[in-house]
Amino acid sequence: MTKQHLPEPPGWALKLLHWYCKPSYLEAIEGDLYELFDLRCQSAGEKVARRGFAWDVLRFFRWKYIKGLENSKRLNQFDMWKNYFKISLRSLWRQKFYSSINIMGLSVGIACCLLIIIYIKHDLSYDRFWKDGDRIYRIAINDRGPYTPTRLGALLKSDYPEVESYTRLNGLYDFSFAIGDNVFSEPGGSLADSTVFDVFDVKFIEGTPQGALSEPNTVVLTKSVAEKYFPNESAVGKIIKSSGDAVKITAVVENPPANSHMPFKYLVAMPHEYWATTGWWTGNNFFTYVKLVEGASEEAFEAKMLDFMRKHMAKDLMETYHFENFDDYLASDDSYRFTLVPIQRIHLNYPRLTLAESAGSMDNVYIFSAVAFFILLIACINFINLSTARSGSRSKEVGIRKVLGSVRGELIRQFMVESFLISIFSLGLAILLSLVALPYFNDLSGKLFLSTDLITVENMLWLTLLLTAVGIIAGSYPALYLSSFKPVAALKGELKAGKSGSFLRKALVSFQFAISIFLVIATAIVYQQINHMIDQKLGFNSSNTMVIKAGSALKDSGPFFRSKLLESPNIESVATSTTYPSQFIGDWGYSTVGDVKDNYSLYTMFADSYYLETMGVELAQGRFFSKELASDTASIVLNEAAVRELGWDDPIGQRLERSEGAWTVIGVVKDFNFSSLKRKIGGLAIRYDPEIHKTNWGSAFYLARVNGNYQETVNYVNELWGTTAPEEPFDYDFVDQAFAKLYESEAKFGKIFTVFSALAILIACLGLFAMAAYTLEKRFKEIAIRKVLGASVFSITTLVLSDFTKLILFGSVIAVPLAFYVMEQWLQEFAYRMELGILVFLIPVLSVTLLAWLTVIYQSLKTATGNPVNALKQE
Amino acid sequence: MQRINLGEFEELVLLITAVLHDNAYGISVLQEIEAQTGRQINISAVHSVLDRLEQKGYLKSYLGGATNERGGRRKRLFSVTASGAKALSDVKEMRNTLYDQIPKVTLDLNFV
Repeated sequence: MTKQHLPEPPGWALKLLHWYCKPSYLEAIEGDLYELFDLRCQSAGEKVARRGFAWDVLRFFRWKYIKGLENSKRLNQFDMWKNYFKISLRSLWRQKFYSSINIMGLSVGIACCLLIIIYIKHDLSYDRFWKDGDRIYRIAINDRGPYTPTRLGALLKSDYPEVESYTRLNGLYDFSFAIGDNVFSEPGGSLADSTVFDVFDVKFIEGTPQGALSEPNTVVLTKSVAEKYFPNESAVGKIIKSSGDAVKITAVVENPPANSHMPFKYLVAMPHEYWATTGWWTGNNFFTYVKLVEGASEEAFEAKMLDFMRKHMAKDLMETYHFENFDDYLASDDSYRFTLVPIQRIHLNYPRLTLAESAGSMDNVYIFSAVAFFILLIACINFINLSTARSGSRSKEVGIRKVLGSVRGELIRQFMVESFLISIFSLGLAILLSLVALPYFNDLSGKLFLSTDLITVENMLWLTLLLTAVGIIAGSYPALYLSSFKPVAALKGELKAGKSGSFLRKALVSFQFAISIFLVIATAIVYQQINHMIDQKLGFNSSNTMVIKAGSALKDSGPFFRSKLLESPNIESVATSTTYPSQFIGDWGYSTVGDVKDNYSLYTMFADSYYLETMGVELAQGRFFSKELASDTASIVLNEAAVRELGWDDPIGQRLERSEGAWTVIGVVKDFNFSSLKRKIGGLAIRYDPEIHKTNWGSAFYLARVNGNYQETVNYVNELWGTTAPEEPFDYDFVDQAFAKLYESEAKFGKIFTVFSALAILIACLGLFAMAAYTLEKRFKEIAIRKVLGASVFSITTLVLSDFTKLILFGSVIAVPLAFYVMEQWLQEFAYRMELGILVFLIPVLSVTLLAWLTVIYQSLKTATGNPVNALKQE
Repeated sequence: MQRINLGEFEELVLLITAVLHDNAYGISVLQEIEAQTGRQINISAVHSVLDRLEQKGYLKSYLGGATNERGGRRKRLFSVTASGAKALSDVKEMRNTLYDQIPKVTLDLNFV
């Protein structure tokens, strides 16, 4: 080695070494590094040596050479934590029975929470995925009317610079497609303007947004539909036939995500040019969407709508509603305003505006959150109760620990570790449970969650949060309570079985049962209300009316089809109509004839002369339409509700008019329920159209009164349809089933409630089971002495049971009034609501009590029948 | 025989330290290992093992005198303790005993 002055090693590396290295090792390491540096300078040059030096410094960054880790206090803490874990595991293992009940209860609770979290997250995520989704608005009438006038969007865009783009949609409809010789009816079709892709950034797979829907008879398919009809080939450019028109497929787009309020499967170009350019301002037929430019204020734009109405619509509105002055119109009850609804809020807050089959509801989000919270709470209560109850058996441990120098903080940490261990175990089990339960949950919720939706980073963060909360809630009371023992008292055994906590324990058990009983009562009422609605007399024959849909496809063969239907021995009579009970029915504006014109809005449907006898609707006054009288197209039949609304004493012969004509009232039918029983029967107007099957602007339904074999009838009609209208798929329904479908959301609600209340009871009973086991263990001797003194098995069993029964009855004292109040509120929204009897409260209380008895009776009997000698001989 | 807790690399470093007698420190051990076995090792690994062997009681260390080389830093010199020497001989003995028990056939086959 030469003595020549060599270049220095890199300074930063030296500094780093000085910074991290323990002083006791520093000199030797630094020396060796210098020596190596010199050697490398000679053999490989300075550059390599400097790099090698830096690398070696980094390599010395090892556990044992790093400063500060030798801190003895910290190591001691670490050992203490290790000890907490060890002791906790041992004590959990020693109390297997109680630990497993705790873990089971908590994991069911956490699993419920997890599932409900993904459900709520899904509901809250609707339409968040659109680019600029926060600038897209739906225009509604008074926040609730989904349909808007034809030219609204186009004129808004030309009048106001803050409208960046607009589009109109319509639907979702079933269209029928013919591909080759096969005819399919495909749901989920939406009519759309070509501008739809300016507003919504639909992802294109094939084709381009430009011009995709600019011509009539073009269609854009989603991937799923394209793959269904054109597997393994490109769908773009293919021609399909739809109701006689040749329709060209211009593009294929990605399926809209499941959390969209417009789950279209394909978009069809608006069929007629004039739909875009002309149209009455009083005819509302389209969904209008606008995208505002960035920074535009929603309120300011909404306010401008009034000027817009004044400018474009005042004349039409004044004519229709008979006002001389537009301000008078605006001041009247009939007037409406356009409102802007952010699309991201449609799903949860504006159920009437969604295009999807079922809308979400903010109420449900709140209710489910509350239910999840309560289930978790019940599970936490189990934990609190069991650990305080068992405090007696741990008081000696606490005493000894205190004597040996444990301070309170250490004891608290010890018990917190125990509760966190339990919640970590429960968490693992909960994830497993929720994975297992996922298919059932999908069934229940009607959504399609995958296990990948369940196990996401975000959910795991939520769970960690939940875990901490559960650990703290469940662990803090026992930790604080147990650690407060006076060591001498604890060691002398003066703390008998956690006496001081017994009141709290009883209160918590009562509370658990209050929650359970509340849920059971709620479930019972939901189901009873659904049954109440289904059992209501609807005022017509709902049970045997078959509906044959898409009647307008029959065109001229309508009368032939009808006569063929009547040839079947199972079909008694056939009518045609533009709607059928339970389905959508439009309300039209009418006004009275005379000097003072009053405006009324009546649900309006068209029917032929057979409607009354087929549906079994009864006539109250006058007559129904007659096929002999062609002039009946100028007649109108009302229901009693409409007559009441109009305030006529003698309705027959009165006249109603609209801008396109006037009609004379010839008859009044008795009220019947043509829509959901959640609403009262509204005013109904029936107008005469003997040839509804020829309609080209609305739906036509054949209503057949079936008497006898339903399956045979369906087969017969199916065959007949195939020969009469081969280009249209056969579709039918039964009115009673259609009515039952109206209550699906209530039924779903009921189902979810059933499951959750069952889980709540399960967890509460688990807790009760453990509590009973524990209490009886403590009263072992007392019971033995009672027996020796002559008590019978029966009297002892009732003694034990009555203790628990008291708790449950106390719980029901809280639950029943609460359930009464809450469910009264819920029932308010139903026009036809059940009356809350005493039974709907009594039966749940009794059944929960019975269940609780079953839970404790085995242990009670075992104790009561045991030989008292066994209990008394041991000290 | 008491169980001797000695990894392969530890054993090598212990042997080299014994070979170097009173001139065993980081760099000399590193160089000797390279010279004897051709293994390329980072200096930090050598230090780490030397420290570990000291912790196990097979080596002891002391700081040598300062020189002008090494930026004036002292060397930390290692020497083998009695239990280190015993460990080495125990390991060797066990090796030999085991080696002697190998049937000739096996070795013949292996060396074919």
